[in-house]
Amino acid sequence: MHSNDAQMLVLTVLADGPLHGYAINAAIEELTGRKLGPGSLYGALSRLEARELIRPSDGASEGRHRTMCITDAGRAALRAELEQMARVSQAGLRALGPA
Amino acid sequence: MRASALYPPAVRERWGAEIDDALRDTGARAWPDTLAGAARLWLHPTDWPETRAGQTRRTVAVALFAILALSTLLLRAIEPSRTLTADTAHPATSLWLAPILLGAALAAPLPPLRWEPLRRLAVQTVRTLTAPAAAVLALILTARSGVFASPSAPVAVALLAYYWATLAFIAHRLCALVARAGTAPSARRLSAALALTGTGLAAAAAQSATTAVPATLALAALAIAALATARDLARA
Repeated sequence: MHSNDAQMLVLTVLADGPLHGYAINAAIEELTGRKLGPGSLYGALSRLEARELIRPSDGASEGRHRTMCITDAGRAALRAELEQMARVSQAGLRALGPA
Repeated sequence: MRASALYPPAVRERWGAEIDDALRDTGARAWPDTLAGAARLWLHPTDWPETRAGQTRRTVAVALFAILALSTLLLRAIEPSRTLTADTAHPATSLWLAPILLGAALAAPLPPLRWEPLRRLAVQTVRTLTAPAAAVLALILTARSGVFASPSAPVAVALLAYYWATLAFIAHRLCALVARAGTAPSARRLSAALALTGTGLAAAAAQSATTAVPATLALAALAIAALATARDLARA
């Protein structure tokens, strides 16, 4: 998983609670200022579900929409990724020096 | 056509309605990302969630036979060729076919060697292939009847269209038979089958490069797809 890819964005917004595809994209837009295209969003959802990092939320689907939630494995993967990003970010900022 | 139809079945079952809704809301500018997303998923079967056990393997087996069917139609379209043949009289220019046939044999869904599964496969085969067999029979009878010995231009076009439609129908029904045949090969067998098929198609593309450029490009694209999918399955 790369730090800036669609899978991490999806995991990040799902860490806050279960959402369906449309709401996931709205949350990503709020976070980054840009929506993901359908191929990127549903590709990421498929990959994450195949790797059991997310799963369908129990009994919370809305009509045609599947509500998804993050799994414990998903939380662990997200935490590891964010910690790595934080280390890279701190090292980069240190190297740049004061603004 | 709905854009979700372009996605692998497991993805379509889960997200098909949402993909179509998202595309409708966003409009034409979402098409490139939607198509690229579908292509990425087809090349990475290990990214597909499974609705039923073995669903991914069965879908990959059908996709492999679809690649073989498309390749056969392409090769038929560029016949006759001196650089790319498929007969024992020209072994050097027909060698590309060997890995492809081996790949097809490896990917063929074989039922357990017991009476009941074999009986079911025989029934499925008869049900699936009766209509294309009838279409071929009609084609042969038409060709041999002599009725259209000197057809007018519109009739010649109609006969040609019927010929190609029959070939496409046979290809479709063979893929349907693979889908219905039950036992899917293991991921390892499928990976080897795809690698062999990709190698054979790459050789065919190289051999036809000087004579039929569009067919070469199409064969090369199919070879790359087969090899990329083989790599993804092997990694799993």
